[in-house]
Order: sequence, then C-alpha cells, then structure tokens
Amino acid sequence: MSTSLPLSSSSLSQNASRQQHRVLMVSDFFYPNFGGVENHIYYLSQCLLRRGHKVVVMTHAYGGRCGVRYMTNGLKVYYVPRLPFLMQNTLPTLYGTFPIIRNILIREGITVVHGHQAFSTLCHEALLHARTMGYKVVFTDHSLYGFADLGSIHMNKVLQFTLADVHETICVSHTSKENTVLRSGLPPQKVFVIPNAVDTAMFKPNPSARPSDEVVIVVISRLVYRKGADLLVEVIPEICRLFSNVRFLVGGDGPKRVRLEEMREKHSLQERVEMLGAVPHTQVQSVLVRGHIFLNSSLTEAFCIAILEAASCGLLTVSTRVGGVPEA
Amino acid sequence: MERYSYLCEQSDERGFPTVNTHRVIVNRGSKLRARISYLLPLALVLAPTYSLLFSAFPVALGFQWLVLICGLFLLVLQRNGVEEEAVVVMPTFGVQLETTYFSGKVHRQFVPLKHILAAVINEAVTPTSCYYYLALLVRDDSKLILAFKEVRPPLHMLVPIWRALREAIGNK
Repeated sequence: MSTSLPLSSSSLSQNASRQQHRVLMVSDFFYPNFGGVENHIYYLSQCLLRRGHKVVVMTHAYGGRCGVRYMTNGLKVYYVPRLPFLMQNTLPTLYGTFPIIRNILIREGITVVHGHQAFSTLCHEALLHARTMGYKVVFTDHSLYGFADLGSIHMNKVLQFTLADVHETICVSHTSKENTVLRSGLPPQKVFVIPNAVDTAMFKPNPSARPSDEVVIVVISRLVYRKGADLLVEVIPEICRLFSNVRFLVGGDGPKRVRLEEMREKHSLQERVEMLGAVPHTQVQSVLVRGHIFLNSSLTEAFCIAILEAASCGLLTVSTRVGGVPEA
Repeated sequence: MERYSYLCEQSDERGFPTVNTHRVIVNRGSKLRARISYLLPLALVLAPTYSLLFSAFPVALGFQWLVLICGLFLLVLQRNGVEEEAVVVMPTFGVQLETTYFSGKVHRQFVPLKHILAAVINEAVTPTSCYYYLALLVRDDSKLILAFKEVRPPLHMLVPIWRALREAIGNK
C-alpha cells in the first residue's frame, strides 16, 4: 500500500474487512461429540464471529438433541433430524437432504458454505447442492485415508465428484495435502495448508502439579485400534520393567480399554498405571499438567492436536512418526 | 406455496376493553374453486355407484370401478381446507384461537389468561423444512399450545401478534 495515498488505501482495506460473510459450516461431526473435527469447527466459528462474520452450523440430530440451538457468541446450530446410520454419518440419500439444505441456505442468507471432513456424507451432499445453486464452497479435509479397501475406494470416488467443483480446499498438514490431492485428483497448487491451532489460553503449564521424584507419562486418547492402543499394551510393561521411577496416567475410553486393564492385572502394575476413564474436554488440561511426558501412539494422524495441547501445557512429547505428526 | 394475508381488527364496543382479532387468511383463489375441489371426490364416488347399481350406462365396467376406487381414495385422504386462522386477544380475559374451514366449520379454543405463562416464537426443524411458529406456554401442561395449527404464516406476520400477546399477558 503506497504511503502517498493513506486515506484511500485505508478506506479500501476498511471496506474489504467490513464485508461480512455469512458462513454455513456443514459436517456430521459437531458438539456434543468431542474430537479434532468438532473442536476445529467450533474454534473456527468463534474466531469468525469475533471478526464480525455470521456463522451457522448444520449437523445431524444427536439423540434427543434436535432443532435449533445457540452456542457461545450467537453461534446458531441446526440439528437436522436425520439420524446417523454408520459411524455418526447420516444416511446418504443423494437428494434427500436437498429441501432442508436449500431452506437453511435461503433463510439465513448464506454466502459461503464450508464443509468439513471427507468422511461426512452430510458434508458431501451439502457441497453438491450448494454448488448446484451457485454458492461459494470451501472444503477442509481433516484425516488421512487409504486407497485400497472397499470403503476408501468408494469414498475417494465421491470425493473426486465433490471436489471437482469446489472453490477452495484446505488441508491441515502437508502430508494431508498430499493424501487429499492423490485421492481427489485436484491440482496441488489449488490446495491450501492451514495447520490446526490450539487455544493456549486454556492449555497453560503448571509445573507445581508434577511430582518431582518420579517421571509421569500421560496418555490421553480414545482407546481404539486406530490410536495405537495395542502398541500401548506392549510398551507400558516394558518401560515399567526397565525404569522403576516411571508412572503412567492413562485417560480415555474405548473398546481397547479391556486389553489395557488385562495388561495391568497380568503384570501387577496397579500402582504404576492409573486408569482415569473418559476425561471430559474441560478437565484435559488438569490431567495433562500432572505429567512430564506425553505419549501419542496413533497409527495414523493427519495432524495431531493432542500433541500441540500437551506441548502447550509444558510436556515433552513422544509420538509415532506417522502422517502429519512431524509437522506438528 | 399458499399466500397468506394478515388482518388485524379491533372491536370498538363502548364500555368494554378493546378486543384485537389477528386473522391470517389463506388466499386460495375463488371460493367457488375451493368448493368444487371439495365436492369432486364425492361426485367421483356417487356417479359410478349409481351406474353400477342400476346398470345405467353400459360403459366399460373396469373403468367405472376404477373411478369409484379413486373417488373413495380421494374422499378418505381429503382434509378440510383451512380458510383462515385467527387469534382473538381479550385483555384480562384470555386468548381465543379460531380455525375456519372451507366447509364453514369453525373450531374455537379458549385459553384463560391465568393459565398462560408466556408467548414464544420458536423455530421448528423437520427433515425437509424449517419454519417459525408462535406458541403459548401454559401452566400445568408440558405441551405448548400452537397459535396457528394448520397455517404457517411467515415471521413478519407472527411478530406483531406476538407483541400483542406479550402486552396482554404482561398486564396481568
């Protein structure tokens, strides 16, 4: 911007910044579910609201939670009564969601539709219908997917169809960008990489909470196959055998929790390994500050926010070198 | 989509407080068309029945049966068309909800003012649509009483009615 005409340039920038966008975030995954995608959508919406734009979120009904709800700062959420059928996804009827999507787009005066997560059927349908009606469309991909198994092949085909026409694509890491570009056939120049962020105001370190005589390793994740719970079962007894002053703090719940409990009984590690069960998101920080090291054993990860949160709380992080973790 | 028109009438009887009637009228073309479409299934049932019973017209039997069954189907599925819905606000007394049908029938429901806690405008989301509705919160009942049961007027029509209701309830 030239300094000789400060008035016009500042007024231009003021006009550009004053243009209010009305964004519709669409995904199958939102509060009350807790996870990377859900938190990403929520924090992104809050930041956009703070900048003066209008944000509306559309997702499927969660149990009895159906209808219109308002979250912090006037974030309007539509819980459309279409029940999930497989892994939190709504039934993919190609034109079934068209009436309600059109209704929401018109009554809210939406200008930009932002879809999240390639695995979300509601997202694909919304992007398809929004493009048919001529709206601007943005897509963000949050996870890495395979190429060889049945589900992935079909989903990649759907993704190619949807992303053929999208205006902008965002990925959360360079690894994720590679993955998305290969799966969807997009030109790599068109894809933006915007890594996820962590709320440092919430995740503050607290050195006084850590014990000084022993080393505490914290693990907080969903105990499923994908997050490497089996690796944990192998690694924990080994470490406890090799180092006597190490304690483990395991938070989270899932199908693999039984295996961890069995391992605990088998090696009599009841005092060395503490199982906390499911940790609500608000209490994650208080659990993290109790440790010195954070262990992440996931088998695949596009971008691990858990590592960022742990680092923000002052822990050293140890992780499996997969996906976008080196970039995090 | 049906077009709605909004009318607000005031009664000017001396000695009584002003009673406001908020009407939402369904614009359905001419009343004659509505009456004809209401009587059509009846005609479709009666004509073949007569001809079958009394062998009046030696036309294809199958066709007559078909017309008869279609007529019965339409008769069963037919719902009374709504001509207008009204909310009559009587200060210190209560609120009366009226529904007038094309057949001339009027359905009235009176809600005493003591029972009403508040009037709310809320959004309803169905699998295919999303609309605003005006409802009354009633004491001792967990269900909301809808002000307009059959008709769905747009928000700019609901807001003045909601304000009038709030005034009436607020001045208990």
